[in-house]
Amino acid sequence: MDKRKLLHGDWQGATSWVVILALVIIVFSFINPRFASIENLRNVLVQASVPLMLVVGATLVILMGSIDLSVQGIMGAAGMVWILMSPNARGGIDYGAWAWVVATGIGLILGLLSGVIHTLFRVPSFVVTLGTWNVGVGLATILYGDSLLPSLTSEALSQWPTRLTLGLPNSFWLASIVVLAGILLIGFTQLGRGILAIGNNEPLAVVNGVPVIPIKIAAFGIAGLLSGFAGILATMQLGSGAPGVGAGQLFTVIPAAVIAGTALSGGEGGMVRSALGVFLLILLNNGLVLAGVDPNYQSGVFGAILVIAIVAVDWPQRDRLRVAK
Amino acid sequence: MTITIPPVVRLTDIGCTFGSVSAIKSVSLEIQRGEVVGLVGENGAGKSTIIKILAGIIPPSKGRIEINGIICSFRGPKDAFKAGIGVVHQEQSLFTNLTVAENIDQHRSGADWMSRIGLQRWSRVNRDATAALQKVGVKLDPKTYVRELSFIDRQMVEIARAVCIDPAVGGTPLVVLDEPTAILEPEETAVLEREIRNLKQFASVIFISHRLDEVLRICDRVIVMRSGEFILDKPSKDVTREELFSAMAGRHSQESQKGHARSPKADVAAIEVRELTRRGQYRNVSFAALPGQIVALVGSNGSGSDSVMRAMFGAEPHDGGEIKVDGRRVAGWSIPRAVKAGLAYVPAERKIEGMIGGFSAAHNVAMVHPGEAAIGPIRLPHLRRKVAQSWFNRLDVHPNNVVQPLVYFSGGNQQKVVLAKWLNSKHMKVFLLDHPLRGLDAGASETVNAQIRQACDSGAAVVLIPDTIEEALDLADKIIVLRDGEVSARYDMTIDSNLSVQDVLEKMV
Repeated sequence: MDKRKLLHGDWQGATSWVVILALVIIVFSFINPRFASIENLRNVLVQASVPLMLVVGATLVILMGSIDLSVQGIMGAAGMVWILMSPNARGGIDYGAWAWVVATGIGLILGLLSGVIHTLFRVPSFVVTLGTWNVGVGLATILYGDSLLPSLTSEALSQWPTRLTLGLPNSFWLASIVVLAGILLIGFTQLGRGILAIGNNEPLAVVNGVPVIPIKIAAFGIAGLLSGFAGILATMQLGSGAPGVGAGQLFTVIPAAVIAGTALSGGEGGMVRSALGVFLLILLNNGLVLAGVDPNYQSGVFGAILVIAIVAVDWPQRDRLRVAK
Repeated sequence: MTITIPPVVRLTDIGCTFGSVSAIKSVSLEIQRGEVVGLVGENGAGKSTIIKILAGIIPPSKGRIEINGIICSFRGPKDAFKAGIGVVHQEQSLFTNLTVAENIDQHRSGADWMSRIGLQRWSRVNRDATAALQKVGVKLDPKTYVRELSFIDRQMVEIARAVCIDPAVGGTPLVVLDEPTAILEPEETAVLEREIRNLKQFASVIFISHRLDEVLRICDRVIVMRSGEFILDKPSKDVTREELFSAMAGRHSQESQKGHARSPKADVAAIEVRELTRRGQYRNVSFAALPGQIVALVGSNGSGSDSVMRAMFGAEPHDGGEIKVDGRRVAGWSIPRAVKAGLAYVPAERKIEGMIGGFSAAHNVAMVHPGEAAIGPIRLPHLRRKVAQSWFNRLDVHPNNVVQPLVYFSGGNQQKVVLAKWLNSKHMKVFLLDHPLRGLDAGASETVNAQIRQACDSGAAVVLIPDTIEEALDLADKIIVLRDGEVSARYDMTIDSNLSVQDVLEKMV
């Protein structure tokens, strides 16, 4: 199958998305010309990298009709583990690449754990991942303790995310690779096709011999792994370890996927669309700051815009008899 | 001496028990190559259990299954498929968000290295699907998404999937069609019939349907099931419709009271639509139903008849035209107002819109019009059970347990409860029914039709979207034919009493 046709479902309306994004950029540029500057757009790309990585995992899980709330907790735990194994103000040994392996491994294990509990004990993913979230935060808090702030002492590491390669920040390249992997996973692997099948009709998937339980566990595992990975990147960007390094990410990632048309009931949506959703939200957020909205009002204004955006996106699908839960 | 070819299917002494209930007592069956066998029986007779055993979904408690001479024991649907049994289930079972090719390929697994490491090998998937589609003679692009297909095309995809037998196994495939026509419109059924004749050339077929005429027309042999046993097995040419009916039900058909002698009870229409229009759905639809009259809306899928009916019930908006109830134009029409005005609606999607499966049957009966189950705003459980019980007795609902959740009843009995919910109103004015007989066996259909006639006799105006044209000819006083959202013909049965199915079909397409 040629690629264009295959991604057809995912790319649907991609052009209208480009128009929307362009409109947002034009409007904010009028308010503050600095918005469209190269530096600021690079800044937007850096800001977008963490949610972009997260949205890949979130989309996989939402496509199955489940939800993963554990993002911020896993980010905190993985971020703390990573920084304590890397050159930091508390000293300790620099484990180099092993820090990455262990930190993402923690994410993977927490994700797999959510998946196992969700499938084998048949607990709603909503509740399980709410638990994993707190387990992650707990882990991070214990590691944080009450000693010295673990700030990153290696300049090479702390500057890596914002440093440019071929004109674009490194962290954005990293996120792009993850998004690309997500696109390929959905389009060209049996796991990806299985995830779509489960989201469309789970009982039918069972009867058709789709390995539902392994696929679900794998999807939660991947989501956990990516949350861990994003936790490392966020910690690097912050320059020091903090249990709350992922604060606010959940409220970017899930609305981004929903605005982009990923149905919470599963089966519909895709990586490309979710990624565009992230860009829209990050641009809005950045634009509000540059537009000089009072910091006290920013959160409220952002929330209101989010609600309006979701209503607008859902408008064509509204039906008097459609059930929304 | 000739070498005997083993039958495609040989079931020996198959039985199946769930707990203490035996769904199938002991059945034996042989099907030869190229044979089309019809399997009929009332809901709960054990047809679906047989299918599930053949499909590998449930294991039999006893007995032997031989496919093409090989003894099989299926551990799952994939094993059954590998043995050469393809099943088209009653409910459409396609993943709408995947492509045609992927759906056809669902039961297969490639043996190449790409598949083994979990990659999707699109080239093979598409090639195999194209071959399967060619085999059943359907021109469909394997790369289209199933959600973009019409009903009949989806059915064809299911058949292609069923005949897409693993080449490694060989032998004659068996295709099981479980009520494939229940949700098809008449002209689509004709396409399916042609398809089944085509299948005979390389496969054997088990065909299940509630429409006895259809079974007699399509099948070489008919088997009747009742209470888990085969009680009749005859070539189609040696058996009549009446014989089948009495074998199935254990009683004789009473469906002779065909009467167009009904006379309207008043001259003001209980419901009337004028120039009703909804962009992209239907245009300028006008008709009226007098109290005591049955009006049938006939049209194929996409003709807009279901949308017109939903608009009449206030469930969908319309762009132009008007709806009149009792001669008065209604504005701001909505479901609560329609219900208050005495309208009732039996939707086609029973399980989704018609009932609350997790609620008991009694709850469902008393849901809209509690009748005697309510004292003011208070609903009393024991009164509710009493009301439900009286309906259970009147409509002969099985099992006779009003507190059992509705989802555990069979389709026919669920539909009886859905009817009771509306019939419990003392002053029903308009009864809207969308495919009320969908998936119902002959016995339940009779009960439902009798209730429709009775509601009509007691002064309600009935608007009906029938499953078949025969049903419309049997029941209706007026027939309105819709084609592509416009009224293409109107018949008054008191005048056009010798109207034929063919006449109506011509106006539909």
